[in-house]
Amino acid sequence: MKIHVNEQIVELADNSNIEQLLTYLDKPLMGSAIAVNQEIISRSHWADTILNEGDNISLFQAIAGG
Amino acid sequence: MLFDEMNKNDQLVIGDKAFSSRLFTGTGKFNDQKTMVAALKASQSELVTMALKRVDMQHRDDDILAPLIKNGMNLLPNTSGARNAKEAVFAAELAREALQTNWIKLEIHPDPKYLLPDPIETLKAAEMLASKGFVVLPYVHADPVLCKHLEAAGCAAVMPLGAPIGSNKGIKTADFLEIIIEQANIPVIVDAGLGSPSHAAFAMEMGADAVLVNTAIAVAGNPVAMSEAFAKAVQAGRQGYLAGLGGQSSQAIASSPLTVFLEAACEFQR
Repeated sequence: MKIHVNEQIVELADNSNIEQLLTYLDKPLMGSAIAVNQEIISRSHWADTILNEGDNISLFQAIAGG
Repeated sequence: MLFDEMNKNDQLVIGDKAFSSRLFTGTGKFNDQKTMVAALKASQSELVTMALKRVDMQHRDDDILAPLIKNGMNLLPNTSGARNAKEAVFAAELAREALQTNWIKLEIHPDPKYLLPDPIETLKAAEMLASKGFVVLPYVHADPVLCKHLEAAGCAAVMPLGAPIGSNKGIKTADFLEIIIEQANIPVIVDAGLGSPSHAAFAMEMGADAVLVNTAIAVAGNPVAMSEAFAKAVQAGRQGYLAGLGGQSSQAIASSPLTVFLEAACEFQR
């Protein structure tokens, strides 16, 4: 299936969850936050949130700042 | 009382946390991660700020989080980049997920030239975030009336500015910071514009509860040494405040009994 991650199309196996997406993208689990179709998904639900074709994912990460 | 003894009982409590160090630091603008970690350790800071950004899918950011957690630092994510209350609340909720903390440095500064905080949107966001259970530390102008409104809104502390972010100009808002400090029932953390250790000491002597420094340390010739200098200045300023500063006078008040000595000398010459 195809999903959008930060405006980029990503091809992902059907029935993947958020944890699998982050692993596939080689992004760290720690320090990341994720919204699916504008809704923030709590870390405790990353493993049981199954992504669907066409989902819009926003991926954020903690960085240096003042 | 010796300062060490004085210092032991002088913890700063904000929300659910107690701090021994009154120097908070930012993680931005360092040349490299190694220098950043060394400087933050030298500062003895127990609370460090971080930002959040949309991930660039083309390139991997340095993982700066692991060394901060390893060194036992409390993280204070900010809402930098938010242009209004709605965006700030969204950023705070993302930050809570990313860093697993309900502490948030609320900053809304839509104008990139001066990065001055928007008071109306900040107050709106503070009310919303406090009601959602966040420990809210808003970055604001040195406005005593706004600071009282933020206190009433449930903020855990206020962070009034000394001068624009990154300007290194020092405490340009002294008269208003004094009013804020006098009126506040929550901690006052002077944030932004502190460019040298003496600026930090000045803020602490005024009775600020803490200061937040980033640029002045990060861009220093030797960030680690500058970090230590700020730590000492904050301690010195705090000790000066606790010791009770003498009052000011426009006239001289002699510290030595000079007149008596001179009169005696004149007598002798005769």
